[in-house]
Formats: sequence, structure tokens, C-alpha cells
Amino acid sequence: MSSSPLLADLVEALRCLPGVGAKTAQRMAFHVLERDRAGARRLAERLAAAVERIGNCTRCRTFSEEPLCALCASSTRERSLLCVVETPVDQLAIEQATGYRGQYFVLLGRISPLDGLGPKELGLDLLAQRLAEGEVQELIVATNPTVEGEATAHMLAQLARAAGVRASRLAHGVPLGGELEFIDRGTLAHAFGGRQVL
Amino acid sequence: MRVDQQPGYILHARPYRETSLLLEVFSRDHGRVGLVARGVRRERSRLPRGVLQPLQPLLFDWIARGELGALVAAEIASAPFALAGDLLFSAMYVNELVSRLCARNDAHPLAFAAYAQCLDRLAADEPAGWTLRRFERELLADLGYALLLDRDAADAALLPEQDYAYDPESGARTWTAGDGRMPRVSGAALLALGADRTPDAAQLAQLRRLMRSVIRHHLDGELNAWTWARPAAPPTSG
Repeated sequence: MSSSPLLADLVEALRCLPGVGAKTAQRMAFHVLERDRAGARRLAERLAAAVERIGNCTRCRTFSEEPLCALCASSTRERSLLCVVETPVDQLAIEQATGYRGQYFVLLGRISPLDGLGPKELGLDLLAQRLAEGEVQELIVATNPTVEGEATAHMLAQLARAAGVRASRLAHGVPLGGELEFIDRGTLAHAFGGRQVL
Repeated sequence: MRVDQQPGYILHARPYRETSLLLEVFSRDHGRVGLVARGVRRERSRLPRGVLQPLQPLLFDWIARGELGALVAAEIASAPFALAGDLLFSAMYVNELVSRLCARNDAHPLAFAAYAQCLDRLAADEPAGWTLRRFERELLADLGYALLLDRDAADAALLPEQDYAYDPESGARTWTAGDGRMPRVSGAALLALGADRTPDAAQLAQLRRLMRSVIRHHLDGELNAWTWARPAAPPTSG
């Protein structure tokens, strides 16, 4: 590797990708140099363009090239429903799995003092502003069912209460097609506690 | 070295590599340890993702090597501490405090017992502020930073009606106008903390400022849980 400092740099740079260690990075570097220089050039251009031009929507904080993302700008989405998710991936999951027609707010994280993530980092001031506008009737809290997600949900519920907006939380329970025998006790206890009238 | 059936709590979990978690665990006999739970974020993982949560008493098996150990198994030791709402923030504060103050691989069995007791008290809905002050006192003592709570720096008995400035290095001394930057705390509050007697609201507020300044001194920095300006409700964590 010492023959080319650039190659060593490339291998090192590739390691910033998740799941890519020294060995994989080396294989990637050799692959593009040996077989796919055109592909590598395209990747480099796309990466540069994406990093340059993709920012965050000023309204919901998801990734967007425009100041307003397509969902926030859309006139067909209901403005009275606002779903709060931790990450853009969560937003995508809900968008694909449900027929939800409202709008989103993306926290880009969850409350976690040890990671240095507090209300400010999660854009809760922006959310409070949004709730104060008075358009939102229901805040749907879709943070993960972890301790940090619950703490975040609690903080969001307080925000909603202060703004006089109804807050709801995603249900936790038995997965579809699951068998009670094999479900972990915590989930089963939650599902039991949150049972619904038939 | 293999460690088996070690009681402990997860202080913090963060994603590591593609499918793993990096756990910060507070264990009884090994203190704070970093453990890698390999592959736990995959759908069909051998390790129980659902129980690898803070506030859940667990029994850990791991193989220690170098800085990080490899988690082999984890099982539930008892029911999780039932904390909700603002108490979750208190618990997160406690977890941050332990993570930041305790060095890795340094056993603190007394602090460990105090940690469990603190979460127990929070879950039993005892007043959060006083519960946190008691835990801070125990933790600091086990780390070798014990507060001097019956005598002043000159070894005279504390007087309940006297106000003191508390220096984290030397202890309490009679408060004078020049001590503006030191926490001002009454002898009665110090004595109450020392004797584990429930203080009144004013004393509790003084003790909170006192503890914050002592912890800041030993950390040489701020805790993130302190710096949150909570948007809707007053903080209960610090």
C-alpha cells in the first residue's frame, strides 16, 4: 500500500461507511480502481452533490434539497395531524406501511444526555412553534419503545399539553402472526395492559 | 477472562457497527464496563434485544478482553424499575452521573448498592430531589470524594443556624460576603444530609446547588442533563 499514498487515503476514507472495516474498504478501493472507474467517478460526484445540496427541511427537519420538503409543501396532506418520529428512516417506514395522510416532524435523535442530545438538539423549540400556530389538532408520538424513546415521548406530551393539542402514542403489543408463548414478557405485559374493547 | 451471572444495569446503549450494540454496563463486581452485544439488532438475534434496556436489572455473562468485553448472555434478574414521566429524566441523570464519574473496570460495590436503592426509591415515588441527593452522597463517598458533613474545614462542629461556603477540596467554612462563587449552604442542611434526615424545601434547594458544584469540581465539566433548558416543565433531574 505504501506504493500509493492516495490509495491508502482512499481505503481510510471508505472506512467512514457503516459496516466497512479495513478489509472491506481495501476490497472496495481495489475494485473501483481495477474494474469500475466510471462507477467510482459517478459515486464521487453524487456524494459531493448530496453532501453539498441536501439539507434539512425548515419545517419538519427531514432531509431535503429545498427549504421545504415535498411532504411539507404538499397541499394534499392533512395539516391537522403531525407525526413525530426519531429519524428519516422511521418516517419512511411509516409512510410505506400506513395510509397516514398527515405531516411529520423528524427529531433526528432521541433524548439522551450521554449522547449530548437534549431538547435543543431535537428541535423542540421549532416543534413548539409549530404547535403554537394552531393548525395541528393531534400530535402522534412515534418514538421508539425504549427508555429514551419513552422519555422523549413524555417531553413531547408536555409540549402538546402546553399548546392544548391532543397527543397520542403508537400502541405496543403482540406482533401480527406472533404466538403469545414466544413473546418476551415485557411486550406481553404491555399488550395485556393496553388491551382494547372488541 | 469470563464473567458469569454478574448483576448489573445498562447505563447506556449505542448502535455499534451494522447490527451490534455497545453497552455501558454498571456491574456489581467490575464497576463500569463496556460490552459489545454482537448482532443484537438483527431480527433473529441470539441475545434478547428487548431486555437490553436501562432500568432493567440483569445478569450478564461476558468475556473480558482489553477495553471492551463481548457479551455472551443476558437475562432478567427481576422486574424492571417502573419509572415514567419526569422520573425517567431523574434516572437518565443518575445514569449520566455514574457514566461520567466512575472510571471503567473499577469496582464500586457500595455505589452499586446505592444505585439500585436510588432507582427503587424513585420507583416507589419517594421525593426525587432528596433521593438524588442521597445517591450523590453515597456515590461520591465510594469514589473517595466523601463530603465532610458534621465538621467544618477547621474541625469544629457544624452549627445548624450558621451559613457555610463549601469548598469541595477542604470542606465547609463560615460563609462571608467574599465567597460569592462558592455554594452557600446552611449548617442545618449539611447536617441533615450527613445524618440522612429529610431536609425542608429550602435546605434541599441549597443541597442541590452544593452537590452540583461539588460534582462539577470533580468532573471538571458539566453534565448534559444539567444544561437542558426544559421547554415545558421545570427540570427535576439535577
